[in-house]
Amino acid sequence: MSAILTRDELAQALGRAGEGDRAAFRRVYEATSAKLLGVTLRILADRQLAEDVLQDTYLTVWRKAGSFDASRASPITWLVTIARNRAIDRLRSGAAMRKSTPIDEAVTVIADDAPSPAQALETGDDVRRLNDCLGQLDDKTGGAIRTAFMEGVTYDALAVRENVPLGTMKSWIRRGLMRLRTCLES
Amino acid sequence: MTDSTDIGGMDEDQALAGELALRVLSPEDEAAARAREAADPAFASHVDAWNERLGGLAHGIAPVEPSPWVWPRVEAGLTPPAAANDNTVVFWRRWAIGSTGLLAASLAAVVMLAMQPQPAPVAPVAPAPAVIRVATLTLESGAAAMTLAYDAGTGELYLAPTNEMAGDARVPHLWLVMPEGGVQLVGAIDGSSTSRHSLGQALSGPAGSANAVAVSMEAPGHTPAPNKPDGPVVAQGVFQRL
Repeated sequence: MSAILTRDELAQALGRAGEGDRAAFRRVYEATSAKLLGVTLRILADRQLAEDVLQDTYLTVWRKAGSFDASRASPITWLVTIARNRAIDRLRSGAAMRKSTPIDEAVTVIADDAPSPAQALETGDDVRRLNDCLGQLDDKTGGAIRTAFMEGVTYDALAVRENVPLGTMKSWIRRGLMRLRTCLES
Repeated sequence: MTDSTDIGGMDEDQALAGELALRVLSPEDEAAARAREAADPAFASHVDAWNERLGGLAHGIAPVEPSPWVWPRVEAGLTPPAAANDNTVVFWRRWAIGSTGLLAASLAAVVMLAMQPQPAPVAPVAPAPAVIRVATLTLESGAAAMTLAYDAGTGELYLAPTNEMAGDARVPHLWLVMPEGGVQLVGAIDGSSTSRHSLGQALSGPAGSANAVAVSMEAPGHTPAPNKPDGPVVAQGVFQRL
């Protein structure tokens, strides 16, 4: 069902898709659509909406594949960024009617824990390094950054959830981001 | 810079780029940061770098196999890929990459560009009613560089620069920024005093549909290609109908 591509193979397939190669584009879809649906579903918590956004995402990928630059971005991260931004745009457009199912429950019910072909696409070292650096932040800062990424929520929503003033949340995250950058570049 | 609460200068840009990539900003702040991203290639590359850094967080999200109907719908929507210039962000990045000393366009102008309704087409009856379009071009500092008025009926263009560009040895060139991305050279302009030009018929189409104007600074004696400035883009402004 799902093709397993290495990072280089995915980058190459994206490049060909950018030249109009539909077979290459289909390989990109098969190797990455489960990963990207995981991302959009986590943000939207509604399968129908998440799949609509997934469809939009790949149409955007098709149009923009020609601008993908393998020397500057990892292909899976480039794809995740598009999917995540599309899902957040949909979430904030008000079109997203959140169902009453709590997010965590919704995701655990449908998430498939089997190893994904897309996992082969992520450089293990990069992910480990990111996790190490996040781990060096205090728990609430690291947690806020993760939640913001996974669920696509703003400072306002994060502050309400953590029951801290908005300024405090901004300060946590800004300083956390700066430390994260220093750590990742060390 | 490990424990300082004072995030200033370069780090302020980095923090803002990180916030934009993480999508934590309020709608107003996000719109302003997106405008900055569109106008400032250095800032845009910070945002790209943050997307790259943070993207690994998706590793913690379990994959979910999509329904079988998704692919057929994607496939049905595929059209021949456009050249990768389907948005002004790409345009600005490509245009400005490599130029040093770039003064990005004012945020306000770019935000308005996003909100600007399409201009109504000029009625083809003669004599065409005058459709005056005006724009104030601003520098990154927010200072006005020039006011411009264009009469789509006659093709007359009127330029009134402030003193901001006076004394620069380089020659300002005026560009039309097209709604689909890309630019069209109007020509060299006088950056120190008011001037009047007739664009005539050659540019009436592009000038009628352009939604913004920009100024690049070119080396004396150099004429850039009609679709790409060689010098830095120092000012931009959105067309408004009068």
